[in-house]
Amino acid sequence: MRTRFRVNGADVDLDVEPRRLLVSILREELGLTGTHIGCDTTNCGACTVLVDGKAIKSCAMLAVQADGAEILTIEGLAEGEVLHPVQRAFVEKHGLQCGFCTPGMIMTSYWILSQNKDWDEQDIKKQFSGNLCRCTGYRDIIESLKRAKELARGEGREAMR
Amino acid sequence: MSSLEAFARGAGKYVDDITLPRMLHMAVARSPHARANVLSVEGGMNAGDLHALVGGFGEGARRDVDPAVLHPVFASDTVNYVGQPVAAVFAADRYAAEDKLDEIDVEYEKMTPLTTVEDALSAAPLHAGTTSNIIKQSWVGVDFDDPASPVVLEDAFTIGRIANNPLEPRGIIADYDGARLTVYVSTQAVFSIKRGLCNTLKLKDSEVRVIQADTGGAFGVKSALYPEYVMAAYAAMAYRRPVKWIESRSEHLAASQPGRGVRGKMKLFAGTEGRVKALRAEVTTDAGAFGGTAGTSSPFFIAMQLTGPYGIEKARVLATSVMTNKPPQGPYRGAGRPEAAFFMERMMDLLADEIGKEADEVRLVNTTTKPFTSPLGLEIEASRPFFEKAVAELKYTEKSHNGKAGLSFFVLVSAVTPGESARITVQNGTVDVWLGGNQHGQAHVAFVKRLLSEELGIPENVITLNNGDSDALSDGVGTWGSRSAIVGGAAVIAAARKVRAQVQRRRGSYTADTLLDGNYDREVFDRHARQLNSFGANLATIRIDKFGVVTVQECAACYDVGRALTPKVVQAQIVGGSLQGIGQALYEGVVHDANGRLLTKDLFDAGLPLAENTPDFSITIVERPSSFPHKAKGLGEAPTIGVPPAVARAIENVSGIRIRHTPVSPEELIGSSDTQEATVKRR
Repeated sequence: MRTRFRVNGADVDLDVEPRRLLVSILREELGLTGTHIGCDTTNCGACTVLVDGKAIKSCAMLAVQADGAEILTIEGLAEGEVLHPVQRAFVEKHGLQCGFCTPGMIMTSYWILSQNKDWDEQDIKKQFSGNLCRCTGYRDIIESLKRAKELARGEGREAMR
Repeated sequence: MSSLEAFARGAGKYVDDITLPRMLHMAVARSPHARANVLSVEGGMNAGDLHALVGGFGEGARRDVDPAVLHPVFASDTVNYVGQPVAAVFAADRYAAEDKLDEIDVEYEKMTPLTTVEDALSAAPLHAGTTSNIIKQSWVGVDFDDPASPVVLEDAFTIGRIANNPLEPRGIIADYDGARLTVYVSTQAVFSIKRGLCNTLKLKDSEVRVIQADTGGAFGVKSALYPEYVMAAYAAMAYRRPVKWIESRSEHLAASQPGRGVRGKMKLFAGTEGRVKALRAEVTTDAGAFGGTAGTSSPFFIAMQLTGPYGIEKARVLATSVMTNKPPQGPYRGAGRPEAAFFMERMMDLLADEIGKEADEVRLVNTTTKPFTSPLGLEIEASRPFFEKAVAELKYTEKSHNGKAGLSFFVLVSAVTPGESARITVQNGTVDVWLGGNQHGQAHVAFVKRLLSEELGIPENVITLNNGDSDALSDGVGTWGSRSAIVGGAAVIAAARKVRAQVQRRRGSYTADTLLDGNYDREVFDRHARQLNSFGANLATIRIDKFGVVTVQECAACYDVGRALTPKVVQAQIVGGSLQGIGQALYEGVVHDANGRLLTKDLFDAGLPLAENTPDFSITIVERPSSFPHKAKGLGEAPTIGVPPAVARAIENVSGIRIRHTPVSPEELIGSSDTQEATVKRR
């Protein structure tokens, strides 16, 4: 089925087998392997990307459903050598260990910050309920999110982008 | 680019991110039955193509077992757990490979499975040619006459199985060029995989190269050789095409090797002041359907540690590993250490209640003021000075009265033996390092850079730690058992000193500039035979709501790490490990029903903790230098050892219900909300 969407600002036009998941197309057809697969039951969130500004699990969406959508993956955050503030915050605050859940955590963090809400710590923790991490115990992920907010503000980025 | 930065960019190269030309994807047909005779298998690659056995490679694995109890690569006459591999299919993409599973036709004759240790001990053997379902059984410690003690306490405890659940599942790519097999794998130990493949497929050492892909967590489950790895390697050789197998989460939960799954019966003989004179115990492991894995050795390792940080003069333990119709047991962060500490710490709390003393008082009277070797073979330093400091640092007295805190005290037995390998090369002003044990989240790179910049006076930004590669080293062990900073660090120092000596010989004197100006290449295997054990203590406070749901409020740790080589990493390891300890205490399990069918089929069923389960942490690092050149001690498993007994005691203090198992479920605690006063019930 002919499917057209934009990924990280680039147009994509593909003939897609209708049963294939968005994550499978991103990874295998487009080579965007930063989006990871950690489960087959939509629990883990390692495959989180933004579709039209919303954080979604790309294992829970068929690629053909993304027709006409604007998609942002982990590869689309940095500008060349310069990391996005969320990425910089994760490195600075040690918000990752093995790195496997990290792209999903960063995309969810990006979405949380884009909401511009004054969530308290418990609210923030709940926003991560769709993203699992086995290494960090989450503390440094939450610290990374807080740091990202500071970094983004410092650079005059109120909302993300 | 640092590896942290690469991972934050999504630029890691995990095994599923690697694509080779003409690559086939493998899917595995698995038994739907916990126990059955296999009457026929049609389709795919199966036991008719490859009859080989795995087992005996990886952390805690044992090779001295009857071959009749080893795991076959493909099931032949019988299947013995739900998820056991029966056949494999191959196709150009993963979707097509899954489709091809429909072509496999297996005829089974169902049998009644043995799903509990009790069933297995009384039933006829699972495996033909054996006489019982016991893999190994023996006494640890010499026998003694029961001392005349005014206090004799007995209790029994069960620790449920837990899936390792690294966020990246297992995975492998095998590629064969007609002469040599090259394997890319998500692993803790390239040499375990290499030796395992050579042994199982009868290949020469020179015919196999194992390269570690970026590894997305492991926690013990990625050191063993698995049937799927052998299938992929065999198929790559048979088809002369690269073969990739990536485990699904469902497969991980059903058919990898979960950890824990142990019960302990404890009997203490004590004086009225709380001094324990003797210990008798039985430790029994549910090793699952096959032997040779860590499930075979774990009861003996647990038995050895059972006296913990206490000076108990007499002890004897019956250690038994038993086969049931469940997947084989493997190591999970701690791998025997948390079990031993849980059993002993639960008894210490029971003893405190029995004689009417505080939990810290009864522990204090059992600490040692001199180095002590237990009758079970555990070597410890004097434990009293550390314990006194820890009780003060953790503010136990204040928190036990105000917050009903739980306390634990333990010894971390790091897997020091037989040492580890390291290689350092210098070329074009850059320094490359390889270690025999491979990092998968612990940031070995951080201690490697620190130690090399100290030893060689070079800047950290010229140093690269490479992923594991069996061609880069002649031998190696692996990353597990809280060993890497100790033996990996010592090996790096030993290799650096050889390089330094080489520079001195060639150039007359050593400077960092002369080093970086030349070409050098040195490899060492730095051997260690002595135990290097360290102490830790934890405190936890909890709340219980009216539905019986426990929330951990504060999780405090006081650990002796010898020397914190990389303080940020030390903190991160403690926080992450603590949530795993909370997971064991409250949420996590791999549960099979009476028919041996898996009930915990996804990550939520398996109880992986969420961000909202994370408590407040307070961490005290104690630095009592070790005898190693870097002065460090072990760390990684400490939180998984200390946190579960501290949480269990806190639950007991708040609910008044004696805790004898993990995980503790809300159903058990309904009506014991901490809005009501409660006292601990005695046995």
